[in-house]
Amino acid sequence: MATATALKKKMVRINGCVAAAQAAKYADVDVIAAYPIRPYTATMMALAQMVANGELDAEYIVADSEHSQLSISHGASSSGARVFTGSSGVGVQFAYELYSPISGSRMPVQMMIADRTLDPPGDFGSEHTDALSTRDMGWIMGWSCDAQEAFDNHLIAYRIGEDPRVLLPQMVCQDGFFVSHITGDVELPDSGQVKEFLPPYKHPYPLDPRHPVSHGPQIMPEQGPPLQLERARAMEGSMAVIEEVHEEFGKIFGRHYDPWIEEFMTEDAEVVFFLQGAHAVTAKFAIQHMRDKGLKVGLVRLRTIRPYPTERVRESLSKFKVVGVIETNMGLGSVSSGGVLYAEVCAALYEADKRPLVLSFMAGMGGEAIVLKEFYWMTEKMQAVQKSGKIEKRTHWVGFEE
Amino acid sequence: MATIEVQRQVLPILGNPNQGARFYNPELPSSEPFVPGHRTCAGCGPSIQYRMTSKAAGDNTILVGPTGCMYVANSSYLCTPYNVPWAHTQIGSAGSFTAGVAAAYEAMIRKGKWKGQFPNIICEAGDGSASDIGLASISGALYRNHDCLIICYDNEQYANTGIQASSRTPYGGMTTFSPPGPLVPEGKKLYPKDLARMMAAGHPHCYVATASVGYPIDLMNKVRKGLNHKGAAYLMVYTPCQKGFVYETPRSIDLGRLVVESGLYPMWEWNPEQRAYDYSFRPASMRPVSEYLKLQGRFGHLHAEHIANLQKFANEQWRMMGVQLPEALLEAADAKNLVNMAAAEEAATVAETV
Repeated sequence: MATATALKKKMVRINGCVAAAQAAKYADVDVIAAYPIRPYTATMMALAQMVANGELDAEYIVADSEHSQLSISHGASSSGARVFTGSSGVGVQFAYELYSPISGSRMPVQMMIADRTLDPPGDFGSEHTDALSTRDMGWIMGWSCDAQEAFDNHLIAYRIGEDPRVLLPQMVCQDGFFVSHITGDVELPDSGQVKEFLPPYKHPYPLDPRHPVSHGPQIMPEQGPPLQLERARAMEGSMAVIEEVHEEFGKIFGRHYDPWIEEFMTEDAEVVFFLQGAHAVTAKFAIQHMRDKGLKVGLVRLRTIRPYPTERVRESLSKFKVVGVIETNMGLGSVSSGGVLYAEVCAALYEADKRPLVLSFMAGMGGEAIVLKEFYWMTEKMQAVQKSGKIEKRTHWVGFEE
Repeated sequence: MATIEVQRQVLPILGNPNQGARFYNPELPSSEPFVPGHRTCAGCGPSIQYRMTSKAAGDNTILVGPTGCMYVANSSYLCTPYNVPWAHTQIGSAGSFTAGVAAAYEAMIRKGKWKGQFPNIICEAGDGSASDIGLASISGALYRNHDCLIICYDNEQYANTGIQASSRTPYGGMTTFSPPGPLVPEGKKLYPKDLARMMAAGHPHCYVATASVGYPIDLMNKVRKGLNHKGAAYLMVYTPCQKGFVYETPRSIDLGRLVVESGLYPMWEWNPEQRAYDYSFRPASMRPVSEYLKLQGRFGHLHAEHIANLQKFANEQWRMMGVQLPEALLEAADAKNLVNMAAAEEAATVAETV
C-alpha cells in the first residue's frame, strides 16, 4: 500500500461533470463515446480537452446519437477496451435498446449520467426519471451527492463492474446541475493509488482473433431462462463485491463510504427522509435546524439502488415511525401515483416486524431546488401522520398543497 | 505518452476478376472463417456472400453481425458458423458497434494492451439495417473513418422477419408489406434508395463499391480493396433470397449475374484517391429486365407498364455508367412492346455487348 508521505494528491475546485472526467482520466480509459446533451456535456468537453492536450491517450469518438454512443461502447468493451460514455435526460432514453444487450453480454461499460427531466417540454432541470427508468436492465446504479463522491463513485464502479465475479455495466449518476454544475473541493489522488485500486480491464472472452468466440448468438426459448438467471445471479452476487471494493477504497484513499445507505441524525429519530442524490445536502441543513428546535427528524440516503439493498433498507427504516420518500422522479400511475422509489421502500419493509408509515413526496421535480421550508413542511406532514397513526393522503406534490 | 505504431494487413488482389462462379482459382485462400452447419435456406445468397467475403478476409478478422438473417439463421446457440470472433449487435448498431471494435483495437495496440497486426473488422449488415434503421450509425462510422469494412448484404427486403419491404426493395417487388392488389397493381410503388451512391457521395474519403454473388472473384477483390484501404470502406453486395424472391434454389448465382446484365444492379467502384467513380466493369452481355424478372415469383404480378418502368430505371442506370444503350433495350422501355408478366418470356429479347 502506498504511504501517505509519498502520495502526490492535490485539491482542486471542480464541478461534478469535471470530476467524472477526471475519474475517467485516472482510470486510463481507452475509448470514449460522446454526444452532446445538457447537462452532462461538460464531462465530454473536459475529456476532449484532455485528449487534445495529450494528458489522456484514448479514442475520443463523437457519436451520431446516444444509441450509437452505447453501441460504440458495447463494441469497444467487447473487444477488451475500458470504455467511458454518458448522457442525460432523453439522451438516456434514446439509447434504451442497448442497456439489456450490454448487461446481457456482461460488458462492464461505464456510463456517467447527470440526470435531467424528460420531455415534454424541454426542461433542463434535474430529475432522476431518466436513469431510474432503466433501473431493471442489469446495470449497477447509484447516485452521488457532490463532486468528490462522484469522482470516487466512478473509480469504485469500474472496479466493481470489471471484477470477473461481476462483469456488469455501471450507471454512475449525479443530479444534473446540483452536482454536475456545482463546484466543490475534490481531492485528486496519486496515480499510484489508482493503479493499486483499479487493475487493468481484462475481459475473459473478448473479441480477439487469436481466441475466436461468438458473442450473443440467437437462442431457443428454453435457453433464455438460464442466461437470465445467470445475469440475475451476477447482480445479486455483486453485493459482496461492492462491499469489499468500498472497504478497499477506504483503505487506499482514506474516504470511507457505506455502499448502500448513509444515515444522518437517525439515532433517536422518529421521522426520516429517504432520498437519493444531491438534495441530501439541503436536507442535512434542514434537519440540523429542526434538531435545534428539538424535532426528532433524520435522513437516510440511498447510495446504491441497483443492486437494491433490501435488508439494509428494511433494517434501517423499520426503526422509525414515519418515512418520507422524496422521489425526484416520475412514476405516472405507479403504486403511490407519485414516484417509483415509494414502491421500492415499501417492498423492502413488507417483511419487517415493525413497519413505519410511508409517505411519498413529489419534490425537486423539474429541477427545482427543494428549499429549507419545504423540508419543514414535509416534516410537519410526517409528524401529523405520526400523531394520528394513519395515512390519509399517501402522496403529496410539494408546493401544490397547503 | 509513448505510443506503439499500429501495423496493418495488406491482402493480395486475386487475378481473373471477371471469371464465372464455377471457375477454380488456385489463389483462393484455404481458410474458412465461415463454416457449414448454419441454418440458412438452400441457395441463400447472403450466406454464399458471407463465405466469399470472410474467405477473402482471412483469419485475423473480427465479424460484427447486426440483427438480420446472417444473425438469426447463422447462429443457433452453441453452434455458430464463425471460425473468427463474431458478435451480434442491434439492427440499428451496425456502424456504431463496428466503430467501437475498431476504436478499441486502435487504442489497445497503440497503448501496448494488445500485440499484433490490426485485425480486419467487418460488419455484415442486411439492407434493412444498412438502408433504414442503421443508416445513421453506418454513416457515422464512414464519416469518422474507422478502419473497418461495412458490407451490406442486400437481399432487397427484411427477410428474416418474413419478407417485408425495405428501402432497398425494388419497384414492383412483392413483399408482405407491399402486396399487389386491385388498388396497387404493382405492389411496391417506390424505387429503391440508392444507398451505395449515398455512401460514396457523402463520405468521399471512403472506398465504396457494389458487387454481386454472381461475380465471386470480383467480390472478393473488392472486399480486399476495402480492407486494404486505411480507413472506412463500404461494400454493397447483391445477394438473392430464395424465399423472398421466389425462385428455384439452384439459380442464386444466375440471378446474381442476370441482375447485373439487366442493368438493375450497376457494378462500380468509388476511388477515394481520385474522388471518381470507376465504371469499367462490364458484364458479358446486356439483357432486358424481363429476363431477370421472369425467374422470380415476387414480380409475377407485374403488368407490361410496370416492366417498362423497370426497364426505364435500368436504362437510366446504364446511362449513368456511360454505356450506350442498344435499340432493343430502348424498345423494351415502351409498354407497347411488352406483355404482362404472365407471358413475360415472350417479351424477352437479348442484346449482346462488346
